[in-house]
Amino acid sequence: MSTTTPTTPAGPKFYEQTWDLSYKHALGETTSRFLGALTEGKILGRRCPVCERVIVPARSFCDRDHCATTDWVEVGTTGVIEMFTVVYEPFKNLPAPPYALAYATLEGADTALVGYVRGLDLSDQKTAVAALAVGTPVVVKFSDSPTGTAADYWFEPAAGAN
Amino acid sequence: MPPGTDPPAPRPRVAVLAIRREATAREEDRSLEEMIFEVAHDTLADAGLSQATVGGVVLSGNDQSDGRVISCMTSAGPAGGVDSDVTMIASSGEHALAYGWLRLRSGQGDTVLVIGWGKPSEGVNPDYAELVSAEPYVLRAVGMNDTIAAALQASRWTDPATAGDTATVSWPLTADDLPRRGDVVVAAVLAVEGTFSPGRELAWVRGAGWSTENYELGARDVGAQTALDQALAHLARGADSAPAPSTWDSVEIAAPSEPAAARAAGKLGLPTHATVNGSGSLHERLAPAHIAGLDRLLAAAGSVGPGTGTAAGVGFNGFAGQGATVMVFGAPGTKEGVA
Amino acid sequence: MSVPNVGVLGVGQTPYVNRRTDVTFPELVREGAQLALADAGVTIDDVDAVVFPLAPDALTGTGNGERWCIEALGAAGKPFMRVNNGGATGMSAIIAAWTHVASGEFDVVLVAGAERVSESGSAQSVLNKMWDVGYERPIPLNTITMLALSAVRYMHLHGSDETDMARVTVKNRRHAALNPLAHLRDEVTIEDVLASRTLAWPIKLGDACPSSTGAAGAVLVSERYARANGLDPAWIRGVGQNTETFWMGDRVGPKALQDHGDADALATAFKRAYGQAGLTDPTTQIDVAEIYAPFSSVELHVIEAAGLCGLGESPTRLAKGEFALGAPGPVVNPSGGVLCSNPIAVTGVARLAEATLQVQGRAGAHQVPGARTAVASAIGGDHQFYSTLVLSSDLEDIA
Ligand SMILES: [Zn+2]
Repeated sequence: MSTTTPTTPAGPKFYEQTWDLSYKHALGETTSRFLGALTEGKILGRRCPVCERVIVPARSFCDRDHCATTDWVEVGTTGVIEMFTVVYEPFKNLPAPPYALAYATLEGADTALVGYVRGLDLSDQKTAVAALAVGTPVVVKFSDSPTGTAADYWFEPAAGAN
Repeated sequence: MPPGTDPPAPRPRVAVLAIRREATAREEDRSLEEMIFEVAHDTLADAGLSQATVGGVVLSGNDQSDGRVISCMTSAGPAGGVDSDVTMIASSGEHALAYGWLRLRSGQGDTVLVIGWGKPSEGVNPDYAELVSAEPYVLRAVGMNDTIAAALQASRWTDPATAGDTATVSWPLTADDLPRRGDVVVAAVLAVEGTFSPGRELAWVRGAGWSTENYELGARDVGAQTALDQALAHLARGADSAPAPSTWDSVEIAAPSEPAAARAAGKLGLPTHATVNGSGSLHERLAPAHIAGLDRLLAAAGSVGPGTGTAAGVGFNGFAGQGATVMVFGAPGTKEGVA
Repeated sequence: MSVPNVGVLGVGQTPYVNRRTDVTFPELVREGAQLALADAGVTIDDVDAVVFPLAPDALTGTGNGERWCIEALGAAGKPFMRVNNGGATGMSAIIAAWTHVASGEFDVVLVAGAERVSESGSAQSVLNKMWDVGYERPIPLNTITMLALSAVRYMHLHGSDETDMARVTVKNRRHAALNPLAHLRDEVTIEDVLASRTLAWPIKLGDACPSSTGAAGAVLVSERYARANGLDPAWIRGVGQNTETFWMGDRVGPKALQDHGDADALATAFKRAYGQAGLTDPTTQIDVAEIYAPFSSVELHVIEAAGLCGLGESPTRLAKGEFALGAPGPVVNPSGGVLCSNPIAVTGVARLAEATLQVQGRAGAHQVPGARTAVASAIGGDHQFYSTLVLSSDLEDIA
């Protein structure tokens, strides 16, 4: 063995790698029923027997009380915005902006549901943000061609909201 | 620099109050979070605890196996972590148990829930999920995964001339030699002595040791299982004098392969009556790789009792057992457990 | 049992930059480790155990990438484990190392790690995979939108506006200009921040942290080790962690335990650390706060959770020039904070490193004069995992 100085160039090289991991996640009975109910135009929650919250979207256990939820509750399809954002930045492999997201508490629910807010002109930021202010009433809309996923519903400002 | 001279203040003895294990080849009716919730809830209840009273939660999952990029986010709640101190130990499940023990020894609460999980049935190709644990420049290009690394290790102990031609997976290993994945959640509650009714304990923790060798398979003797020697040395120099392997009545070993488990058992110097893997062979006892060690440690803790005064669990982690962990458990009852 | 004293004997940080093409991930980890060991005046041979902070594997591109770093650390043969608490990972790793020492099992524990998120071509889409598989993945949530939602809620609860957020950036950039290791070091004005492009309203580019590459480390020691060797480390006086529900939609409304706009669960973690440290009045007893706030809006409610002012008061206090270098009272993020450097896996380690430099009077141009007591914090998950600690220059009662 002898010491040697490499003759190959020292400049930085890159090695491109993509993780191509696929999954088929089991959603369980509760989430499956919630998604199924979307095709019937319904939003379902589950009531916790301890804190008595109606948890939406439906979950089989309450993480606050660490107990199983007990009853199905169909909540309303109208509610109010609790928090929102309007995205203007493109993120790789996420939808093209602009789009609006909000959490809304639906009639009869104690927790807020996340969804897209559609039916708004988002091109002018000031107007869009004002139309989405916390407390704004929204209605849930359902897809005519459901996919069995949480993409099957979204929010729109309630008629006359602004 | 020299080590400290004055001895550290005495640390509390730690017991195992409850152990749960749920294992099935393929769970399609419940989500991962639902499995975690049920096992966490029942383990806490077995220990007379709840989410509201447990002193902390240590998690162990694997993001690639789970298909969740920070898998502790969705699992902390079902594990009983809301309003609690939660730490995810991601290197290996057995490290989570060692960490739970350290937490109680450091005075951080009186009780801790340690929970590990894996639901590889949700992965379309779990072998490929292992491949991404290969560093990207060389090992990934040769398609390294746990099975191939285990075979390379076993090749160190196998004479091609006498090995026969029964290898069915990766020479020299057959399917029966290899661990079998399954959808598994394991959990335990540890507690500090004096915080529970005497006699409630399932086992006493008598000591722990763990170590990790170099990563590169070419930078260590993969046949030597040096990490196990180092873990045993760590166990021996611990603050409490842990029982030596020559006194163990039973040992549960999670290893990359059956030859590796046999080799590890051989180097322990166990008494002749000692049972090895009484809870089942690697192929019989379902366990995803990253919690296989935790599962065996808890199997050991659960095996102490009449006739088994001392049991130890051994876990390996990483390609060809890069890391090793040993934990020793003593039978319930105050006398036997006294260090 | 009483809480054992654990010292911080040395800390190390590389400069935080966009990318490093001259080293591999393990080589970068080694840089942070070597800096920390050198600062502590020990070698890897003196180290009894190693704790490795590493957040999402997917961002570095290697599963269980911690195992790949043993050679670079020189850690073969040592007890070794990795913590992953999302963005809180670095500080959770420090607390794990504290636990190693406080357990009496180890005298010298090294924490060392690194981040090179720039190697991931699609970080925010990777981070979308942290959401619930059934309900949230179809919605493009990520680390920016989740905190934009929180910012909107804070504005709604406390009547603040985008200018209040911009003031945080202006302060931290002014601090970072004095910190040679910081990633974003150009000073900006309120107008600059308000004019920067909107990422997810109300968060604009000027309100957002950079994606930083860099390494950081720390060496923790037992009190008996420090005494036997005549060492004078900084001391961790208290640690506290807490966790809140993963479900952001559960953090609103009258039945919520915590509001997504505030940081109530973080306040509980701070209280745990303060209780252990015997710290009774944060407003007068804390000289420096190195707190995790990757967006300007987050700093507003973390200042309040740390007890440095009342709920909803931080905007007016910042408007008066408080919490800035040169102002009386506690200085918040004199290093420039996470807003100016965010090497995700080690961001929490950097908070400890900066707090240590401050209480030891070694922070150079961004030193808070006479600092003796510091608090540090980190946040992980979707504003969910909280880690805090109190650090002081000696073992005197905190007064
Ligand atoms: Zn409840």
